Amino acid sequence: MVQYNFKKITVVPSATDFINIILSRTQRQTPTVVHKGYAISRLRQFYMRKVKYTQQNFHDKLSTIIEEFPRLDDIHPFYGDLLHVLYNKDHYKLALGAINTARNQIGKVAKDYVKLLKYGDSLYRCKSLKVAALGRMCTLVKKLSGSLAYLEQIRQHMARLPSIDPNTRTLLICGYPNVGKSSFMNKITRADVDVQPYAFTTKSLFVGHTDYKYLRYQVIDTPGILDRPFEDRNIIEMCSITALAHLRSAVLFFLDISGSCGYSIAQQAALFHSIKSLFMNKPLMIVCNKTDLQPLEGLSEGDMKLVMEMKAEAMKTVIGQGGEATDDEGVLLTMSTLTEDGVMAVKNAACGRLLNQRVEIKMKSKKINDCLNRFHVAIPKPRDQKERPACIPQAVLEARAQQAAEKEKRKTERDLEDENGGAGVYSASLKKNYILANEEWKEDILPEILDGHNVADFIDPDILMRLEELEREEGMRQVEDDEDFEMDGKDLTPEEQEALAAIRKKKSMLIQQHRVKKSTAESRPTVPRKFDKSREFTTKRMGRQLSSLGLDPSLAIERARSRSRGRKRERSPERGDAMDVDTDESNKKLRTRSRSRSRSMSRPPTEFVPGAGFKDSEQKVKAIKLAKKSVKKRNKNARRGEADRVIPTLKPKHLFSGKRSIGKTDRR
Amino acid sequence: MRLEKCWFCSSTVYPGHGIQFVRNDAKVFRFCRSKCHKNFKMKRNPRKVKWTKAYRRLHGKDMTQDSTFEFERKRNRPERYDRNLAENTLKAIKKIDKVREDRAAGHHTLRMKGKKAKKQREEAKELEQGISLVKAPSVLQEEPSLTLPKIKVKVSHQESQENRAMEE
Repeated sequence: MVQYNFKKITVVPSATDFINIILSRTQRQTPTVVHKGYAISRLRQFYMRKVKYTQQNFHDKLSTIIEEFPRLDDIHPFYGDLLHVLYNKDHYKLALGAINTARNQIGKVAKDYVKLLKYGDSLYRCKSLKVAALGRMCTLVKKLSGSLAYLEQIRQHMARLPSIDPNTRTLLICGYPNVGKSSFMNKITRADVDVQPYAFTTKSLFVGHTDYKYLRYQVIDTPGILDRPFEDRNIIEMCSITALAHLRSAVLFFLDISGSCGYSIAQQAALFHSIKSLFMNKPLMIVCNKTDLQPLEGLSEGDMKLVMEMKAEAMKTVIGQGGEATDDEGVLLTMSTLTEDGVMAVKNAACGRLLNQRVEIKMKSKKINDCLNRFHVAIPKPRDQKERPACIPQAVLEARAQQAAEKEKRKTERDLEDENGGAGVYSASLKKNYILANEEWKEDILPEILDGHNVADFIDPDILMRLEELEREEGMRQVEDDEDFEMDGKDLTPEEQEALAAIRKKKSMLIQQHRVKKSTAESRPTVPRKFDKSREFTTKRMGRQLSSLGLDPSLAIERARSRSRGRKRERSPERGDAMDVDTDESNKKLRTRSRSRSRSMSRPPTEFVPGAGFKDSEQKVKAIKLAKKSVKKRNKNARRGEADRVIPTLKPKHLFSGKRSIGKTDRR
Repeated sequence: MRLEKCWFCSSTVYPGHGIQFVRNDAKVFRFCRSKCHKNFKMKRNPRKVKWTKAYRRLHGKDMTQDSTFEFERKRNRPERYDRNLAENTLKAIKKIDKVREDRAAGHHTLRMKGKKAKKQREEAKELEQGISLVKAPSVLQEEPSLTLPKIKVKVSHQESQENRAMEE
């Protein structure tokens, strides 16, 4: 079975595209560099190659076009006729012919110019010969532009033609427009043909497939045919006529007995009679559609007569096939595609009749004899007249009956759910079918976790027993445990304890101080003790420490004092008066004034410094007071002052932008 | 719902806590909190990390072998539900807990025993060595007992005179 597939034809380029393709290919695939200093034979060869290459490409491409397009005489007459109807055979042949001539002419051109190139004597001459050759070839192709465009159109249309196998079992549906052919087609096959109220909805042939008795049947839907003389028919109608003429199929002639297609039965009958010549040797069936609107019995006399005439014609085809002479059931059928009443019957009848016809023909042909000899159907001869039906044991029959009954009686969980309020309201009790020792225990809830333990880990049938054992053990253990702990002597006395506590305290203090000193050592200058600015190392302190150890400090204090005072007495013996004046001031002031200390101590804020802006310390004190008063309210209200930190830019660019030269930037 | 044990510290992981890590060999590691998880990721051995149960058991700080541990064991065969059994189990859990706690306490006291003598020796030594911090050696010679000296601060004459002048 040859599948007519016109989808495999390569695309036909337009003339300009064609030329561009070939020329660019020549440019790419042949060497491009040439200088006039080369040997002449090399120059000639260079240009000859280009000409020949171009000619070769043209030849190849045009040949493919010519070969791929089907020759109308070589294909099945159905397709030949169809293509003729659609595209006009002559036009088609002319186009292909033009391409063929062009191909030959290009060959000639190339041959001529190659001959000339053999005698080219300079680069320029060879080059201009090549240019001329290529130019002529391209002009030839430019002249083909019409044909090429036409062929491309045809190719696109052909690719969309339905793939109808002319040799297989086919049902052909024909009739007036709008009688219901396409709806019938939709009903019996999976083809989705357009069904619309206007005439000529179907404009071309459509194929669908249906099955009957394990065989596949093609169903072809045709556009409607009007009753016109043959010459006046348009392309669309000619398609159907072609199909009718060439395909060896069963024909279903559709009749709209309700007249809702817009044509009366008389018109349809007239059509029938005009094309009945096409129904030769084909099992014909008259199908009366739209019986939902008008049943066959309700037809008028005249209409009925017409229908009967048609039926008579159809009968002829039946008789002609060597079937039963009076088999009129499969000839005239009624159906309604809207209510789907009788559709399957029509299909089955049509398929059946077609099948019978095909079988008959096969039987009559010579080929069958080759096959017949090869198989033999063996039928066992009946031994006696006893009937032997299938044997089914009684138990199985009973079980089947019971199952059937059960299926109806059993109440499913879903029914239960629906009764009790639906999916959201009712939740099925999963514990319903539990098998427990006591029925009351079914709905019990057991905690899974208790006091940080999994209860499931503890469940054990003999847990009681083991628990008892454990308790016994425990009891025995407690009895044993009542021994006294050894009490060693040599506990510390309270004094010793005090001493120990003091020792420990002292030790921890030392450690703390050391730690503080260590941590501040980096930022603190290590100054020898004589520059003791914070007045830590006083004699009083020394006295305290010594006496805490139990020693008498007075001697040590005097010694320390004498050494510090001695210096003053040596230097200024006449300053004894100054010393008396100074006794009014406190000791602290004395110390601050004394020149034996280091000079780098800061001054108290109320001290009068000449040249600093105040005339005396009283004024300075007042100024300080004023200043303090002015900020007191602000401070009390916890408001921000001048010295409070202000961040001028919240997002300084240098912190928020830029990549790091080394490292990651996932923190800013 | 099950309470699991943290792989690192062996504490219970309650539902909704912690992270489970499944390794390519299908072994599941459960962690109670990110501390354990991070320690695991650092490849630390829980037997060497002081605060985990694994360490404590290994080094004898906590009770290891006891019959109370046998009660809590994952059983793979499900038992048919029995209300009495369930009741008894729930009560038993509490008792077993109490027993275990008592036994653990006993273990601890046993561990702590025998430390007293050592402690006393240490204290005596510390006293002997450190007494010089709170009592000067000369004073110690005069008075060999371990009583602390009383603190006496002597105020100098001059200063007392000056203070009197200020007051007036």
